[in-house]
Amino acid sequence: MCGDNKMRKTGLCALVFLIVNVVAHAADNPTYEKDIAPIFQKKCISCHNASNQKGELDLSTPFGLFKGGESQSTLVSGDLDASYLYELVHSRFMPPDGEGEPLSDVEVHTIESWIKNKTPFADGTDPASFIAASEVNQHDIQPIMLLRCTVCHGNRRQEGGLDLRTKASMLQGGKSGPAIVLGKPEESLVIKRMATEQMPPRDKLLPSGVKVMPDNEVEMLKRWIELGGPEVKVAPDIATASGDPLVSEEDRQHWSFRKPVRPALPVTKMGDAYNALDTFVIQKQQEAGLAMSVEASRAVLIRRVYFDLTGLPPSLEQVEAFVNDTSPAAYEEMVERVLALPAYGERWARYWLDAAGYADSEGKRSADPIRKSAWRYRDYVIRAFSKDLPYSEFLRQQIAGDELLDYSNPEKITQQHVDNLVATGFLRMAPDGTGSDVVNSVAERMEVVADEIDIFSSTVLGLTMKCARCHSHKYDPIPQRDYYRLMAVFQGAYDVHDWLKPTAVPSQSNGVMKNRTLSFATPESLAEISQYNNQQQVRIDAENARLQKLEVSLQQTHLAKGLALLPEVIREDVKLTFTTAGKAHTEIQRYLHGKFKEMLVLSEKQLEADKAYAALKKEVDDSVKVLNDGKRAVPTIRALWDRGEPSPTYIYVRGDHTQSGRLVGPGVPSVLTDGKTPFQPVSLEHSMAGTGRRLALANWLVNENHPLTARVMVNRIWANHFGRGIVSSVDNFGKLGSLPSHPELLDWLALEFVESGWSMKHMHRLMLLSRTYRQVSSLSEKLIIEDPENVLLTRMPLRRLSAEEVRDSIISVAGMLEQSRFGEPDAVNVRKDGLVTAIAKDGAYRRSVYLRQRRKEMPSWLETFDLPQMNPACQIRSTSNVAQQALYLLNSEMVRELAGQFAKRIMSQTRELPVQVEKMYLDVYSRRPLQEEVELSVEALMQLKTQWEEHNNSLPQNERENVDLELKALTIYGHTLLNSAGFLYVD
Amino acid sequence: MSSKQFNRRGFFERAADGIGGAALATLALEEFLPAADLPVAPSIQPATGGPRRGYDTLPRDTHHSAKAKAVIQLFMNGGPSQVDLFEPKPLLDRRHGEDYFNEIAEDISSPQAAGGLLRSPFKFKQHGECGAWVSDALPHLHEVVDDLAFIKSMYNNHPNHEPALFKIHSGRLLPGRPSIGAWVSYGLGSVNQNLPAYVVLDDPRGLPVNTVQSWQNGFLPPVYQGTRVRSEGAPILNLNAENPYPEGVTSLQRDLLRKIDRLHLKRRPNQLQLDARINSYELAARMQLEAADVLDINQETKETLEMYGVGNKDTDSYAKRCLMARRMVERGVRYVQIFMSGQPWDSHNGLEGSIRSAAGQTDQPVAALVKDLKQRGLLDDVLVVWGGEFGRLPIAQMKDKKNYASAGRDHGPRGFTLWMAGGGVKPGVSFGGTDEVGYAAQDNPVSIADWHATILHLLGLHHHELHFERNGLKERLTDTFKPRVVQEVLA
Repeated sequence: MCGDNKMRKTGLCALVFLIVNVVAHAADNPTYEKDIAPIFQKKCISCHNASNQKGELDLSTPFGLFKGGESQSTLVSGDLDASYLYELVHSRFMPPDGEGEPLSDVEVHTIESWIKNKTPFADGTDPASFIAASEVNQHDIQPIMLLRCTVCHGNRRQEGGLDLRTKASMLQGGKSGPAIVLGKPEESLVIKRMATEQMPPRDKLLPSGVKVMPDNEVEMLKRWIELGGPEVKVAPDIATASGDPLVSEEDRQHWSFRKPVRPALPVTKMGDAYNALDTFVIQKQQEAGLAMSVEASRAVLIRRVYFDLTGLPPSLEQVEAFVNDTSPAAYEEMVERVLALPAYGERWARYWLDAAGYADSEGKRSADPIRKSAWRYRDYVIRAFSKDLPYSEFLRQQIAGDELLDYSNPEKITQQHVDNLVATGFLRMAPDGTGSDVVNSVAERMEVVADEIDIFSSTVLGLTMKCARCHSHKYDPIPQRDYYRLMAVFQGAYDVHDWLKPTAVPSQSNGVMKNRTLSFATPESLAEISQYNNQQQVRIDAENARLQKLEVSLQQTHLAKGLALLPEVIREDVKLTFTTAGKAHTEIQRYLHGKFKEMLVLSEKQLEADKAYAALKKEVDDSVKVLNDGKRAVPTIRALWDRGEPSPTYIYVRGDHTQSGRLVGPGVPSVLTDGKTPFQPVSLEHSMAGTGRRLALANWLVNENHPLTARVMVNRIWANHFGRGIVSSVDNFGKLGSLPSHPELLDWLALEFVESGWSMKHMHRLMLLSRTYRQVSSLSEKLIIEDPENVLLTRMPLRRLSAEEVRDSIISVAGMLEQSRFGEPDAVNVRKDGLVTAIAKDGAYRRSVYLRQRRKEMPSWLETFDLPQMNPACQIRSTSNVAQQALYLLNSEMVRELAGQFAKRIMSQTRELPVQVEKMYLDVYSRRPLQEEVELSVEALMQLKTQWEEHNNSLPQNERENVDLELKALTIYGHTLLNSAGFLYVD
Repeated sequence: MSSKQFNRRGFFERAADGIGGAALATLALEEFLPAADLPVAPSIQPATGGPRRGYDTLPRDTHHSAKAKAVIQLFMNGGPSQVDLFEPKPLLDRRHGEDYFNEIAEDISSPQAAGGLLRSPFKFKQHGECGAWVSDALPHLHEVVDDLAFIKSMYNNHPNHEPALFKIHSGRLLPGRPSIGAWVSYGLGSVNQNLPAYVVLDDPRGLPVNTVQSWQNGFLPPVYQGTRVRSEGAPILNLNAENPYPEGVTSLQRDLLRKIDRLHLKRRPNQLQLDARINSYELAARMQLEAADVLDINQETKETLEMYGVGNKDTDSYAKRCLMARRMVERGVRYVQIFMSGQPWDSHNGLEGSIRSAAGQTDQPVAALVKDLKQRGLLDDVLVVWGGEFGRLPIAQMKDKKNYASAGRDHGPRGFTLWMAGGGVKPGVSFGGTDEVGYAAQDNPVSIADWHATILHLLGLHHHELHFERNGLKERLTDTFKPRVVQEVLA
């Protein structure tokens, strides 16, 4: 629509002319419902409806009609000249040329007489109500009340018995009477209390995270009351059967938005193909006149497979067994064995934890408080990978675990109930400062929600939705509306107006905001805990008994001594008194007890004067304290759960939470649907509180026809095996992402994934058993030129070990890898100079995945080798190559100590130099040394020994170390191997 | 940069890794130390241009020609008071003690301690040919004002240190984003691979507020994080072993490693990443030499040491770090930040004493640094930046609301002063200003994003072009703000 004044004037001239000439046979006494709405329906609303408001005009409801568009008053009841809408249709300026059928003369005339007749409605509605409502209505007021008032006067709390969420509840009021008096803002309590600054109470502002209502909002509220509290019926914007005007069929044609189709297998020389996957690869290679590289040796393959699947090198025995295994199925069997190792789960969980943004602290603030039970989510992910939990279930549990089973009223809490809730930790990983400060504003909560939406969309959908928070996506067909529809899906659990804080700090939250951990465990684990604690109590009692025994003996001695001093006549009576329990005392005995107590019974102070007693007491107290501390508490779960009463979701204009726009309902990105199917929350069992929105989201994701879920995940798995995704932008399958190098292969894998029951191990097997995976990594000059980026998979990439692989492998080779899994993360030591290191237990360390990942104290070793900071997550790690890495491996005290352990371990097996070299080679490189390497190594070992010796001899007599020079030499040698490229890179 | 600046004795002693010391020196100079004014090779990668295959700190081309090749940022933790250092406000003298609460109520975090307007205990005068106002709290700075450009209309967006620090270091009020130094080293790399591209000289007495998060890499690869170089003790983490092997053993180890790696490489031709890795080990060896050398301020003349205030109790620590910073930018380090322990400029009480103490530690070394850079002809290429995270309020902060003599000032984010010098900055300018009492920026307010964009501009980087792709989004130092380069302070 054109709001240009000049155009308008020209239009008016034309109008005068046309009115005179109009000939019409229109309906008599037209009404909106019968005559007018059908015209708009037919001719106008394809461009002017609730979701597609060209010129910001919505003609699909009478409210929209009277509200007008960017040209403001569209319609003035009874005044044809002032009704711009009439001018536009009458002059045939609208609909624009070529964009729909023009209005007929009859239709124009019908509109004319309707306006002249003062725009009547068949049901008798006064058109003035729409005009009032178009100025201000409950949807302008409600967001303000949510932002400023309802934390104390809403669903969780009704201070003074007052609920300010709706017009009805405001009219009903609280203990002091109605909050509003329609038509009389100055008499309305809500206005009066704010004017006198009684409300919001100034001392509650900070703890409640509320700010005083600014003047413009107060004015709007007053005006609304003055107008009698106009309300309009506006249905939340959700997908409907009438289709989506914002996302076109063309938009849905982008390759990744169409459902995958199982392609026929290319016909190739099958000799080169080991499985279906290879045929796609070979086809592309042949098109480019290229071929697969040769197959790698067994030694290379076993090292590659072990690192790839477990992040650790194979042991010397495993290498030897595999290299000497003559069975044709040796490779397949080896892969199968490795997939079954616990270390597989620990390695592959890490990729997912990166994408989920796993951290053991809250972030967002310098203080960076620890997240106490985040590790349970880490353990859940490791277990899920280990047991090959179907990806579909993995997603359903993480996205809607609280809605899968009724955890609130279970007949019996099962492990599955617990797992489901722990899994929702996926949606609790974003950095979150809302528990770290006294103030916790809606803006900060919105940051958390936005980060979660980012993580969810990048990780699961492979789409970037971030931009759509503030404006419709510039490249992908994701309207801003879809962002808020998705937010509405989460709103039952993530409600910025009904917030759960990360940790409960009663003094800070004014008792309003509860925290987000659940104390929830199976009867079995509760029984186990109570059994454990009982055992602990038995130990405590035994300790206390030791002390008691000593006390009794001291008291006896003391009593005997004391009695001896008493006159013989009463001695027996007194003795009897003090050896009888107090309850059984006769009156005389009570008297005697009172009289002689001080003399005959040692006080605590007197007891402690006894050296033996004092020493034992300290010992017992200390050990009781340790035992008490060792008692287990009921484990808590950092979970996300739907509370069933989401506040309404409004689009935030330009992402600003103080500027609420259109009301939207839950939904998924339209472009991934047909645009016509309404999003249907799952109706949960009656006993469950949730809205069922996230469960519907989860179910939609794992639908076999979903265009993205399976593709995105198989591509992630592929990228981690082959160093590059079929879609190289693993987190962006949108228009700005890269196109798939092998689209048919991607679809084939995606559908195979679904049909295998979403088995991730099935995908690993397919990829690892392929001929493609078994190629060498050597790089000929031809390949550098013809396939520089390895897009055609003409070789395997040479890759540097990841941060965790470097650290875990060195620990493992040193023989210092502690095998225990799961549980609370291992604490780190933060040195004054900034070095952050693991704290060893008896010299041993657990794998890096169990090391505490506090955002501000990332372990230095891992960080040096590119462990990312989680802000909020990391979809794909970068690899750097800098001198600091060399300095770390050469000079770090921990690496040096581990090299010493490595040498000791080898030395304890053999003192023969060539054998030592061979063993070290097998441990570090998973292969035997060549003759040339043995010679070089033995010579170096001898030189090193001589050097140490010379050094030692050069020291003054009293400083000389009594050292095993051969061990020293072997330490340096091993340390050198651990620094070598052959160790740090996998062929 | 000339080889004279190496400590030759130590150099030859330690260069025992197979290549002769002199040969290594040549190699170091020619291959890894192109002087800042060497022509830019055409093969140099642009500062931004799609995702990179690997991340390093090799030099990269600028977006436009650079005025500054390096930055020394003198960070004045705590929030130096603009009305006591750079902006005389006669109204504060006239209305001393008068109530001003209502005018600035929304920025008073502790109303119970809020007094009336507080006059400055310092005397102001105009200095230099440019006539810049500086109070007598900074007597040494008087001597160099003709080289400085003051921006007196800066503002921050939060009254608390933590968020304000995140804002000034990384563009947003929250942690988790890369600091400006990380962005610059990502964008430009460094001409000297023997030293980190981005160096942080922190105070041996302790870390600033926000600790190491002040120089974080955020979502940029960790290689762009600021490297803490300690002016006392071991300078860089793991630069040297805590229990070093004997000299001969170390040399044997290097030799052995080289042989093993060469054998490995020989069987893997064309794998560029392996060459790069071998290089990184050689660079590590050189870093050990050069880091020790660059920090060895005993190579400076007595006059220089005295000029900075080395050996003087109050100034010694800061002076040493200023000198080290100069020695670093001489060698091609791209971005050097000097921090102080805690927040010396956070003058909540005892205003005069507090400011004199902070100034007493820094004023002489700072002025000396400007003079020294200038006399060495380095000021043209090096941008020096001075300032804190915000300024202070015009009213008194005091417990009893009576004793103005012992009063201080609370945080004032709405207006403060920073200065810049060298590296393409117009000398002798004062730009912008606060209102009549010094509360809020009034003339030509300059946001932190504007200021960041200006620093990038001087370095030859465009704030919009310098980006990092993450999750399909282009992340920038200036985020989604629409900053303006402050042309008025550019030469």
